[in-house]
Amino acid sequence: MENRILAPNLAELYKRAANRYESLPAFATRLSAFNWEPVSFRELYEKGLNLATGLIELGVEARDHVGLFGDNRFEWILADYGVQLCGAADVPRGRNVTDDELVYIINHADIRVAFVESEALQNKVLRLRPQLPQLTEIILLSPDGETKEGVRSLRDVMEIGASLRATGDRRAEERIDGIRPDDLFTLIYTSGTTGKPKGVMLTHANMMSQMKVIPIRLDCTDRVLSILPVWHIFERAFEVYTISCGVCTYYTSIRTLADDLKNVEPTFMGSAPRLWENLHERIMDRIGEAHPMRRVLFHIAYFLGKHYKDSVFYLKGNNLKLKPQPVWQRILFSPLHLLRWLIVLPWFGFFNAAVLEPIRLGAGGSLKATVSGGGALPVEIDKFFNYIGIPVLEGYGMTETSPVLAVRTEENLVVGTVGPPVYDTDIRIVDLDSSETLFPNDQLPHNGRARRGEIWVRGPQLMKGYYREPELTDQTMQDGWLRTGDLGMITFNNCLKILGRSKATIVLSSGENLEPEPIEMRLNQSPYIEYSMLVGQDQKQVGALIVPNLEEFQKNGIETDSLAGLKDNEKANEIIRNEIRKLVSVNNGFKRFEQIYRFRLLPENFEVGNELTSLYKLKRHVILEKYADTIRDIYSSEPVTVE
Amino acid sequence: MEFDTQLLYPIDQALLAVMIFAIMFGMGASLTKDDFRAVIKKPRGILIGFLSQFGLMPFVAFGLAVVLELPPAYAIALILIGCLPGGTTSNMFAYFARGSVALSIAMTTASTMMALLMMPILLEFYASGFTQQISEAMRAEGVESDFVIPTGNIIGSLLLVLIPVAGGMFLRYKSREWAKTAEDTAGFMAIIVILYLIGTAFIRHSGLFIETPWEIYAAAICVGLLGFLFGFWMSRLFLLPPLFQRAISLETGIQNGPIAFAIILLSFTEPIQSQMLWLAILYSTFIVITSSFITLYYRRKGKFDFEIYKNTVIHNRLFGDDYVTGYPDGFLPKRIENDPSQGASASQKR
Repeated sequence: MENRILAPNLAELYKRAANRYESLPAFATRLSAFNWEPVSFRELYEKGLNLATGLIELGVEARDHVGLFGDNRFEWILADYGVQLCGAADVPRGRNVTDDELVYIINHADIRVAFVESEALQNKVLRLRPQLPQLTEIILLSPDGETKEGVRSLRDVMEIGASLRATGDRRAEERIDGIRPDDLFTLIYTSGTTGKPKGVMLTHANMMSQMKVIPIRLDCTDRVLSILPVWHIFERAFEVYTISCGVCTYYTSIRTLADDLKNVEPTFMGSAPRLWENLHERIMDRIGEAHPMRRVLFHIAYFLGKHYKDSVFYLKGNNLKLKPQPVWQRILFSPLHLLRWLIVLPWFGFFNAAVLEPIRLGAGGSLKATVSGGGALPVEIDKFFNYIGIPVLEGYGMTETSPVLAVRTEENLVVGTVGPPVYDTDIRIVDLDSSETLFPNDQLPHNGRARRGEIWVRGPQLMKGYYREPELTDQTMQDGWLRTGDLGMITFNNCLKILGRSKATIVLSSGENLEPEPIEMRLNQSPYIEYSMLVGQDQKQVGALIVPNLEEFQKNGIETDSLAGLKDNEKANEIIRNEIRKLVSVNNGFKRFEQIYRFRLLPENFEVGNELTSLYKLKRHVILEKYADTIRDIYSSEPVTVE
Repeated sequence: MEFDTQLLYPIDQALLAVMIFAIMFGMGASLTKDDFRAVIKKPRGILIGFLSQFGLMPFVAFGLAVVLELPPAYAIALILIGCLPGGTTSNMFAYFARGSVALSIAMTTASTMMALLMMPILLEFYASGFTQQISEAMRAEGVESDFVIPTGNIIGSLLLVLIPVAGGMFLRYKSREWAKTAEDTAGFMAIIVILYLIGTAFIRHSGLFIETPWEIYAAAICVGLLGFLFGFWMSRLFLLPPLFQRAISLETGIQNGPIAFAIILLSFTEPIQSQMLWLAILYSTFIVITSSFITLYYRRKGKFDFEIYKNTVIHNRLFGDDYVTGYPDGFLPKRIENDPSQGASASQKR
């Protein structure tokens, strides 16, 4: 039953959802484990109208930018309703916003009215107020917080609106009718890689196009658990989607997640790789603690699951195809896979029921699927969950594309890829050096499949641009194509496989963006270091590959005639460690997450034409590939902690 | 069809005995005091389950034996299977078929206790005609004795298999974790032993599969299938909710096979023992396959109403018992809207 609501803009979507879903719960807030407070679609919409009218009364114009600082809670979504229903756009940012960011965002986005979630945030904004000349109204979201002077409570603003609406004020409805598809619904500032945050302008049309293409079916009987920050576009899009489908969203937190998974029994979740890593760790811990017989049963079950699912993937054509597969190979292998499937089936059937189901119950048991996004999901984790029967659908997107570009679906569940591009979205693979289109390119064998290059995308979800940064916008978007800065390829099952970053920026698993070049330049200042390259995409900490300066070490009495000999020299490693500690420290103005605790000395120098361009710049993707094992080694060993 | 060689060698019999012990132990390990309490608390579903398990099933078995004109030894075995209490496998199938697991467990518990009383009565009632046939055949061969159903032995073997059940319950009482392991290990062993028995039968008596007349196959397959069918319709007739219909259907068709083996081995002798065992083996094999298919079918068919039921349960769990979920007009089909168990409207709240 396809019953998602489509609309020309968010406000209209909220209205239609209220008309269709009426008393169904839209959002639920946790008071205690078994006591949640639901809010119905109708109630939420009516409250939103009151808030919108209150905002209009406070002077919010159509297309104004309204600040919305805070994390997941019902009042956040209510504030969003209020902002959308008065034809404005919100500028969201989480609770952990820094002073600099707050000042920059409020001034850059011309924010005059801002919501703050907590007393702490209220105090922060009040403290910074001298630097915020335009800010006129601050509204506190938390109902139990105490408002300071010059701050209004959410309730007050809603009451203003409610009394106006009681006397026939219908300005909110007029505002809704005035919204154009090209108007912004949100302006999201992303952590800047070059220092200052960039404001991504997303329009109603952007978000509404996502409602059409999200290939996951939900209806009024589904339950969604929300754990990711709602101010991230990934979670935001899913929350709008749940409104469109009449699904109730339950707000949980890391602290209560395990309980809430059991009590809410979600059928769907948006999630990040870290969540799955944690869950995987927890499951393995529990199995490790169980007595030997249980462990044996689990390992048998997992083994069977692996063979069963691998055959299913093969027979459905969902195995990872990085090379073209001749027809004869398929004809030859298919019966073998069918045979394996048949042999494994009865055993898997039993173990699936007796051993794997209780494990799945630990994750709520009702999950139809979950979409993982916001970073690369490690392939072992990915396989683990798919083998034990929790279909993890990895997706790919970015704030600039609001966000979904590609996602695996149940029919197209190719582990190791992010699935096929969603409907109406074009993907190009472009050669990094020559800017030649590699895919789709009928001059190349197989239309350019399996060629690696930078991913360019085009579709209705592409942002309007960076707010007040036309040059940056032009750099990123050309002729309707957006350069993602990611490396990828198209597999032979027409799925997109992400291979890393083409830009130098490293995104740690904590979400911190790290620009390696300044740090590398700093490292290269050391006489002992010839070249250095930072690594750590999707890892917890940054790491470094170091090409040592051989002569310098020889001068200092380390007897070796090659870099290879230096690699495992304890003294040399000690020297480099001290150099790194000295050069990149908090005292020198580097951030905490930029500290390098892990590194490896490389056995060979970088050469022009191989690892270096003719201008002696690092060819990062080449080095990443060549030293993939070394990098894996960096992160497999125990972290070296620096006291 | 006659068995000229022994169907089961002593080693197989020993294996079978271990399996019966393990399975019954595993069954006990899955039961708690609360399960017994539930039986007493909510008798409606159990009563209907009782009717279908001890009323319908033996009659279905008897009817099949008559219609298919089975040889008396097979007929007695079939009736014996029809009179068995439910097994723990049905609980697992009920879970995956989106049926009421609580009801399934309660029915298994109740029927296992009642079996001590009901099985001898039912066997006497339905099988007496067939025992006479055997007696006549024996007399024709010059053996001067009557064949009678060994009621005392049957009660004895039933009591014997209940000992490991009690043991399993004790383990469950002591350690939940170990009990779960025992349950899974038992299930795993059961598959291995059943496959082993079929495998060895295949190797040693490969002719047996061909020689076995179609009526025997039909009886072994249909007794379960008809159990599913009648169990489903009977609970439907009594206007039980879909969740209960699926549980009762599966519980009716899936019998406690290991008890059948125990009774046949301990209470019956040749010449009919091997024939009875053969039917029990065939039943145990086919029931796994048929119930797997039925479960898949129920699972698909019951998806929507189960999701609604689940949503209602969770809304009540989190928002309070008097919370009523109001679905949009036309979302619920009439069938579910009028179903009191779904709690979809205020007047229908349980």
